[in-house]
Amino acid sequence: MNLKGVKPVARVLAREVAVTALLLLGVSVVVFGILYLSPGDPFSVLLEGQMTAGVPGLDVREALGIPKAWYAQYLLWLAGMLRGNFGASIRTGLPVLEEISRVGLNTLLLTLGSMAVTLLVAIPIALYAAVRGLNRVSFPLTMAAYVVSALPVFWLGYVVIYLFMHKLGIFPLAFGSSGAARGPNRLYLLLPIVVLGLGNGTLSEVIRHLREEMGRVLSEDYVRTARAKGASVWKHAYKEGFLIPVAEIVASKIPFLLGGAVIVEQVFNWPGMGRMAWQAALDRDFPVIMGIAVLAAVFVRTGSLLQRFVYVAVNPGASRETIERRTA
Amino acid sequence: MRKRYVQAPGENGDSSGLRFFRKADAVDLLFVGYGLLIVALVAASYVAGVFRLLPHDPEALDLDLLLAPPGTAGHLLGTDFMGRDIFARLILGIQAYFLPGLLAIAVAIVPGAALGVLAGYREGRADTVITWFSNLVDSFPRLVLILLVVAAFKPDIYYIMVVAGLTNVPAAVSLVKGKIRFLKEKNFIEAAEGLGLPRRTIVLKHILWHHCRASLIIRATLGMGEAILVETSLSYLGFGVQEPTPSWGNMVQSGANYFLQGNFWPSTVPALAILLAILGFHLLGDGLNNLLERKAAY
Amino acid sequence: MSVPPLLKIENLKTYFFSKGRHAFIRSVDSVSFEIQRGETLGVVGESGSGKSVTALSVMGLVGAAPGVIAGRIGLKTDGIQKNLLQNLDDYVELAEADGRVVEVRKDVVGWQKNVERLMGKVRGKAVAMIFQNPKSSLNPFLSVGRQIAEAIRLHTPYKGEAEGRERSLYWLERVRMDSPRLRFDNYPRALSGGMCQRAMVAMALSCEPSFLIADEPTTGLDATIQSKIADLLAELKSDLGVTTMLISHDIGLIRRLSDSVAVMYGGMVVEYGPARKVLAAGPESGHPYTAALLASVPGERNIRGKEPLQAIPGDVPDTIHVPNGCRFYGRCSRVTDAVEKECASLLPPLLEIAPGHTVRCWLYGGN
Repeated sequence: MNLKGVKPVARVLAREVAVTALLLLGVSVVVFGILYLSPGDPFSVLLEGQMTAGVPGLDVREALGIPKAWYAQYLLWLAGMLRGNFGASIRTGLPVLEEISRVGLNTLLLTLGSMAVTLLVAIPIALYAAVRGLNRVSFPLTMAAYVVSALPVFWLGYVVIYLFMHKLGIFPLAFGSSGAARGPNRLYLLLPIVVLGLGNGTLSEVIRHLREEMGRVLSEDYVRTARAKGASVWKHAYKEGFLIPVAEIVASKIPFLLGGAVIVEQVFNWPGMGRMAWQAALDRDFPVIMGIAVLAAVFVRTGSLLQRFVYVAVNPGASRETIERRTA
Repeated sequence: MRKRYVQAPGENGDSSGLRFFRKADAVDLLFVGYGLLIVALVAASYVAGVFRLLPHDPEALDLDLLLAPPGTAGHLLGTDFMGRDIFARLILGIQAYFLPGLLAIAVAIVPGAALGVLAGYREGRADTVITWFSNLVDSFPRLVLILLVVAAFKPDIYYIMVVAGLTNVPAAVSLVKGKIRFLKEKNFIEAAEGLGLPRRTIVLKHILWHHCRASLIIRATLGMGEAILVETSLSYLGFGVQEPTPSWGNMVQSGANYFLQGNFWPSTVPALAILLAILGFHLLGDGLNNLLERKAAY
Repeated sequence: MSVPPLLKIENLKTYFFSKGRHAFIRSVDSVSFEIQRGETLGVVGESGSGKSVTALSVMGLVGAAPGVIAGRIGLKTDGIQKNLLQNLDDYVELAEADGRVVEVRKDVVGWQKNVERLMGKVRGKAVAMIFQNPKSSLNPFLSVGRQIAEAIRLHTPYKGEAEGRERSLYWLERVRMDSPRLRFDNYPRALSGGMCQRAMVAMALSCEPSFLIADEPTTGLDATIQSKIADLLAELKSDLGVTTMLISHDIGLIRRLSDSVAVMYGGMVVEYGPARKVLAAGPESGHPYTAALLASVPGERNIRGKEPLQAIPGDVPDTIHVPNGCRFYGRCSRVTDAVEKECASLLPPLLEIAPGHTVRCWLYGGN
C-alpha cells in the first residue's frame, strides 16, 4: 500500500467523515420528527426520562422544566444523546443506553457473524462462476441461492430449531432467556447466525454482484496485460474484483441484516437489540425504539464509512470523482 | 466436457426474427415464464379473494379436523390450529400485501424517478442534496424504521407500506440517475437539446419512457417481492394484519408452536406460498433484466 | 537454406460463435506465415481482418468461445522449441460441410488449462506483447514502476525489490521516459497515453524476450506522439534486434519498421513477402487489396494536387457470411473476364509470384 500522496487522500476521507456526521444529524432529525408528529406528547415523556435517568444535577433541571418549542426540544434531546443520555425506558424505567448495551453485543455478534456466513457461502460460488461461467456446477448452486433468498427467514428458523431439537436433543429456546449469554451458551449463537446468514434474503444478489464484478475485471485490459506478462491474475484482479465489491456488499447489506436480526431474535428468543425493538414497538416505548433506531443508523453509516476507507486504501491513485462514482 | 457449437449447414447465419430468442438464454425465459405465472396466480387469487370465490369458508371452524395435513378431505392444503381451511385463508392473505404492495411501488418509483431526473439532469447542488437525502434514507434498516413508525403511530398496513416504499426511493433515484449519466456520456441528451426539443419532452419521452421504462418495471417487480417480505415479516411479528384476518406472515406465526411439536403443515404451507411468490417476483425481475437490459454482444 | 524461423504459424483457425445469429465468426480463417529471427513482420489490414486475434491466439489469450480450433504455432527460440497449440486435436473435433467448418466440439475448459501449461513459461519471458490503449492496459491500482518491476522480478535474475527498481529505472530511461524516478511512482492515471505506451514497452522489453508482439502500438495516441513512439520503436529495433510481429493499420509505421509484411483481409493472409516488394503493390502488381490499401493512404497529390481520396468501394468483409470465392471479390477493381468465374466461386490459394513473395489471387495463375 503506497502511502505517498497522503494529502489528497486525507482530504477525501475527512470529507467522508464530515458527510457521515451530517447524515447522522439528519438521522436524529428524522427520528425526532417521527416521534414529534405522533399523537400524544411523547417528547415530554422522553425528555423527562432523559432528565431523570440517573443524571446528577436533578434539581437544576427540574427547575428549568420541559421546553415547548420543537427546536428546543430537539436540541435538548440531541444534547442529551450526545452525552450518552438516551432517556429512560418507559417500561422498565432504566436508562436506555444501558439497556441497549446490555444486549447490543449479542446483536452485533449476530449481525457480523451472519454477514460472515453469507460471504462464506457466496464468495466461492461467485468466484467459481466468474471464472468458469454457468455450468453444471455453478448453475444449480445459483438456483439454490435464489430459492434460499426467497425463503421466509422466520420459517427457516423453526426448521433449524426443530432439527436441532429432535436430532440433537438441544433446546435452544431455553437459552439466552435472561441477560447476556454466558459460557457454553455462546455456542448456540451459531444457530441464529447460520439462519440469518443464509436466510437474510440477499444471498443471490450478493453472489450475482461478486460474480459480475469479478467477471468484469477479469476481462479488463489490464488483466489481459497481466496474463500476457505471465503475472498472477489474482494479484492484479483482486483489488477491483474482490476487495472493493466485498466492501460494497458488507456496507450495503448491514441494514438488511439488522432487520433480519429483529426477526431471528424473535424466533430464537434471543436477547438482543432486535427483540428489544420489537418489545418497544409493542409497548410504544419511545425512548428505547428511538435509541435503537439511532444506534442502528450509526452502525450502518460506520459500515459505509469503512467501505469508503477500504476503497481509498486500495486505490491511492483515485481522484475525488472516481470515489464518488464508485461509492455513491 | 465438450461444448458444442453448431452452425446450421447450408446457411451462413440467421435472420433477425428468431434472433431475440436465440440470443436469450433459455434460463432467462424460464425465469420470466415462472415469474409471469406467479403474477397471474397472485392477481387471480386476489380477485378471487375480493369476490369471495373461495374453496371453503375461511372462518368456518372444523373442530374435528384441527391441524389436518394437506390432502385431507375437503381441505386441499389442510387446516390450521382452529380447524380453518388453509387454502381459503391463503387466498385471503393476498389482500394483506397486494394493494399495499402496489402502493409501496408507486411511492417508491414516482418520487424516485422524479428526484433521479432532477439529480441526473441538473447535477451540481441538486445532485448533492438529493444524494444526501438518499443516503439518509438508506441509513435506516427498513424494519427498524417501520418499528419506529409503529411505535409512534400504530398505523395500518397502508401507511406502513408507504414508509416501506419511501425506503426504496433511493434505489429508484440511483437507477434513473445512472441512466441519465449514461445518456449524457453518449451525448444523447446534448443532441436532443441541440435539436431544440423542449425539456419536458426530453425528460418524459426520451429519458423516462424509452430508456428507463424497462429498468423501472424491473424495479417494480422486485419491489413487489420486497413488499411481500415486509408485510409477511411484519404480520409474523404481530404488527401488521391482526388475527383473525389472515396474512401469510401471521399464519406462519400461529403455526409455529405446532411446528415444533411435529405438525409442520400449518406453518409450512404459508411459508411455501411466501417462498414461491417472492421467488416468482425475483426471477421475473432478474430474467427481465437479463433479457432487456443486458444487451449481450453480437 | 533452412534456418528455422523463430515463429511459424500454420493454418491457424480461430472462430467465435455468435449466439444471436447462430453462426461462426471466422476471425482467423486459416492463416499461415513465419518470422525469422531478428526480423520484424508487419501485419496490415483493416479493423476486423483478424490481425489482433492472430496475435492473441499466439499468446493463448483468446477468451471467447470456441476460440482457437485448428492450426500449429511453432515457436523456436533458445531453450524453447514447441508447438504452442500442442494437443489441440485432443480437445477439438470439427465437422465440415462444403469445405467449411459447421460444427465445433471443444473442451473449452480443458484446452484453457492446457494452454496455461504450454504458455506459462513462455509469456512475458520468451514472448512479450504490448497492446493498443496503453492507458487501460496498465493496472490503475498500482504504480507504473511497480508493474514494470513485477515483470523484471518474475522473468529476469533480478529478483530483489531494490534490484527490480534499479532495472525498471534503467529501462524507463531506455524508453526515453522523462523524469524516470518521478514516473516510477506515478499511477497510470497521471501519465499521458504516450508515456503509458513507453512504460508498456519498457515492461515488455525489460525481460529481454526473444519475440515481441506489438498490437497497434501507436493507434489511439495523438498524432505527434505516434511519431515519437514510432521513433522509439525504430531505435529499439536497431539497438536490440528483437524479433517482432508488428500489427497496425498505419501503413507508414509498417513501412518504417518492417522487414517483411503480411496483408490480412477477411481473416486470411492475402499477400505475404519482403516489405519492399509487398508495399510496392500498384495497379498492376501485388494483390488488388494491397494496391487499393496503399493507394488510399493520403499523400501529396491529395493534399496539394487536391485529388480526391481513393477509398475502396464496398463494405468491410463479413466474417460471418463468408463467401465461397475470393473474399475481395465484389470490391476488386482488377477482375478480368478470364478469372471472374474462379474469383466468384473458388477461394484462391497463396501463389508464389517471386521467391518468398506470395499472393492470394487468381490473376497470378492457379488453375
